[in-house]
Amino acid sequence: MFPYNLYLFFVFVAIYVPSLKCGDVVHLSDSESADKLEAVPSLSNAAVSSPVFKPAVDTVFSFSVLSSFPEDLEVSDYCSDLLHIFGQRYVAYVNCLVPAARPVKVCQSCYSTYGSVVEIYKNISSDQMGPGNETCRDSLLRSDRLMLVYQLYSNLESLWEDSNCAQCVTGHFESLTNDTLYFMSTLNQTLTCFEKYQQGNHTELCKNCKSAYGTLNVLYSQMEKNSTLCIDIEDAMNMTRRLWSKNFNCSFPREENVPVIAVSSFMLFLPIIFYLSSFLHSEQKKRKLIHPRRAKSNTSLMNIQDKLS
Amino acid sequence: MEDDITSEEDPIRGRPKEIPHNEKLLSLKYESLDYDNIENQLFLEEERRMSHMGFRCLEISRWVICGLIGILTGLIACFIDIMVEKLAGCKYQVIKENIEKFTEVGGLSISLILWAVLNCAFVLVGGVMVAFFEPIAAGSGIPQIKCYLNGVKIPRVVRLKTLVVKVFGVICSVAGGLAVGKEGPMIHSGAVVAAGVSQGRSTSLKRDLKVRKNKQNEYEGASFWNQMLTWRIFFASMISTFTLNFFLSIYHGKPGDLSNPGLINFGRFESDSVAYYYYEIPLFMCMGALGGLLGALFNALNYWLTIFRIRYVHRPCLQVMEALLVAAVTAAVSFTMIYFSNDCQPLGPEHNEEYPLQLFCADGEYNSMATAFFNTPERSVRSLFHNQPGSYNPLTLGLFTLTYFFLACWTYGLAVSAGVFIPSLLIGAAWGRLCGILLASFTPTSPVGIWADPGKYALIGAAAQLGGIVRMTLSLTVIMVEATGNVTYGLPIMLVLMIAKIVGDYFEEGLYDIHIKLQSVPFLHWEAPATSHWLTAREVMSSPVTCFNRIEKVGTIVDVLSNTSTNHNGFPVVVQVLDSDEPAKLCGLILRSQLIVLLKHKVFVELARSRLSQRKLQLKDFRDAYPRFPPIQSIHVSQDERECMMDLTEFMNPTPYTVPQDTSLPRVFKLFRALGLRHLVVADDVNRVIGLVTRKDLARYHLGKHGLEELQLAQT
Repeated sequence: MFPYNLYLFFVFVAIYVPSLKCGDVVHLSDSESADKLEAVPSLSNAAVSSPVFKPAVDTVFSFSVLSSFPEDLEVSDYCSDLLHIFGQRYVAYVNCLVPAARPVKVCQSCYSTYGSVVEIYKNISSDQMGPGNETCRDSLLRSDRLMLVYQLYSNLESLWEDSNCAQCVTGHFESLTNDTLYFMSTLNQTLTCFEKYQQGNHTELCKNCKSAYGTLNVLYSQMEKNSTLCIDIEDAMNMTRRLWSKNFNCSFPREENVPVIAVSSFMLFLPIIFYLSSFLHSEQKKRKLIHPRRAKSNTSLMNIQDKLS
Repeated sequence: MEDDITSEEDPIRGRPKEIPHNEKLLSLKYESLDYDNIENQLFLEEERRMSHMGFRCLEISRWVICGLIGILTGLIACFIDIMVEKLAGCKYQVIKENIEKFTEVGGLSISLILWAVLNCAFVLVGGVMVAFFEPIAAGSGIPQIKCYLNGVKIPRVVRLKTLVVKVFGVICSVAGGLAVGKEGPMIHSGAVVAAGVSQGRSTSLKRDLKVRKNKQNEYEGASFWNQMLTWRIFFASMISTFTLNFFLSIYHGKPGDLSNPGLINFGRFESDSVAYYYYEIPLFMCMGALGGLLGALFNALNYWLTIFRIRYVHRPCLQVMEALLVAAVTAAVSFTMIYFSNDCQPLGPEHNEEYPLQLFCADGEYNSMATAFFNTPERSVRSLFHNQPGSYNPLTLGLFTLTYFFLACWTYGLAVSAGVFIPSLLIGAAWGRLCGILLASFTPTSPVGIWADPGKYALIGAAAQLGGIVRMTLSLTVIMVEATGNVTYGLPIMLVLMIAKIVGDYFEEGLYDIHIKLQSVPFLHWEAPATSHWLTAREVMSSPVTCFNRIEKVGTIVDVLSNTSTNHNGFPVVVQVLDSDEPAKLCGLILRSQLIVLLKHKVFVELARSRLSQRKLQLKDFRDAYPRFPPIQSIHVSQDERECMMDLTEFMNPTPYTVPQDTSLPRVFKLFRALGLRHLVVADDVNRVIGLVTRKDLARYHLGKHGLEELQLAQT
């Protein structure tokens, strides 16, 4: 629980720091923040000017943030509105992601919230002038070394890419693709079958659910080939396979030891026969020695040894 | 004592003694190459005629030829690469589907038989080609090229037919699943191309290009000659790498991407896994010593096997049968290993196994023994280097090392074209990785990132094993660094190779040297045997020498040349001072090939007198005959012509190298080695010919276990 809390804490700090300068202060303890998360106001009724949270360490903070810069250097209202919306959507997405971590359902359950994050980020980073002829891109995204908004967003983006969710979701984050839905329904069939036969003998299960499991497997490998897999499907398939192979022990048994050993030892035996027979029957290759013409006195190895001794 | 010797020798002299083949023989069938320029009058004339521009053109044409050689070699390498990939891909796909089918319904022994039959079919094609059409194309070809560079003329080693057989043979044997690599044959084919392209050029050029066959990576021989030559060789090999890359990039569908590294490529190590620390260097050195030991064992086993093969398995049909058996057993052993392996691993995110086998593993997991066995050896090496920690368990690696060691040892020396590079890398990578895993498991307290990566130990192990088997330190360091694209490991690899060589040399020679010896090749090493200074040219030389007079009767020449028992190649030319009892003095040296050309063109004194208009023989005529001089039997000399006289003055080499008879063996040796001589005349103080030293006279001395030993000449 602790790291989770801490992470959210930082997220909150990040999001609410800009609004803190307004001076409204709400005390909130660490442990409460987690609970409060559920109650983050929905996007429509976001009251921009009334920040809800303030970290516990208020005394230090209030000093630093209360001092404000001259008008022209500050972020315009429009931009801080955008920033605020971004924050809320961000929280909503992260909020959705964490419970979906195990078993992995990040694509199925959070694609729409991700879509909204993408949308607001697009607004922030677009060239289009907002009211008052200004863009928020420069002021929000790259006016400091940290580039927090950009980094936060790119973290989410890389998560999205790693999870391959794009393969399972239609282009504009409207819904899951048909393939995914079909896979899920097949998966459900298999799991129901598993549940049905779970009690009692597993051999029964292996026999009866084989067709359902087989269809699922085929479907999966087909999707693998078309590369329409996302992490949800991969994880679900992994779990099912583990159930099937490890829990129910339905993988193929090693039954043919005898024929395999027989055939391979026969093959191992062949070379022995071959070498023996060629040793016994093939005539040995002899070399004819030739005597080179040498000066008379020193011809053979014998003499070398004489000389040495 | 004297009597003993003579009584022992007499029966030997009477009839030729026959002994079984062993390593202490020198074969008569090998001749030397003529590197030495013959500075006869024709040569001088031609040089005088040649303009300054001519020399420039010669220089440019050398570069062009280098480029050409590079391109052709690259093309051949590319062809081999793609064919192997295609054929092996098809084979493994078929077997994989079959295994998958039979895992479910039973009958896996049928898959085993299918695998064995497919292997045998490929090997049969390759084996028949090699055994029946071109036996010289067997093996890796590196020993032969080494001899060729040493100056020994191995018959047919650089012919087009050899090239073709070699290329297709190696494709068959790698696709046939033998424990072999394709690098040695690629080097050989590069050599053939180099020799082929350079033929028919000027003589001086030829000599250069002879050396150039150390194509891809063998810089060792080349650096001995001059700097420009080394540079040109370097150029040629870069060109060939470039060509290879260029065409492979097209093949892989990314034309123009030239960074796809060369011939042997094991992929780049990632930067965080290449770090090594000073305290690892002793470990690496221990691994080097282990590699040397294993290499020596490998070589010793292969030595006995090769002797057996030469003595008993010498008929082509037997050789093909042996190759088939090896192919079948390789399949059987691999299959059994895979079948009984319990090591199941999930595929990693960036797995590069193309044919994962599941067999009895849980769904989603794959047999990790199959990643090592069910693949072309080169790919297996790559996965041993790069797969993340934990993708093999130690038992799998141990068993794999053991079986592959014996398989590779058994395979090398078969009548198929096959190299030993990749198998030894594979063995080394397997036990190196095993070392890495064991180290990591014995020292759980040490910082994880350092011991955890077994890939670098696989690399060091591979280097150690390769160094222990082939013992070529310089070129191997270059190859290993090139192949992994990693200079960080330059020093460790060098150390490991050195130690492996030292340890290995203590027990047994390098594999290539063993094979050179067993072929009875008169190979001259860098130095004369250490304790041979007391031997003088008088004892080394052959004597008496067959000499010709400067103006010699055609009949005599024909008789000497046709005498099959003395297959001499160079004849000192002597001049007899008329009307005196003084013995004949040396005035030149003439080669058999020159004499044959002279006989063919009938350059007789009498004919020249009668037909003044006859065209003068030029150097070009000699060059045209290169490299296949007709045998003496094909030249017809009539009875009348036998009485004619031939004047050799113009054609002989008037300044042959001579040594006094008291020159020590090491001095003679140095002359031979440095100048690339073929004949060295031994003359006395008044310039009379008393003997002739040839390569075989020098090569027969070698340092054995009991001091200096002498090899015997034999007909093979």
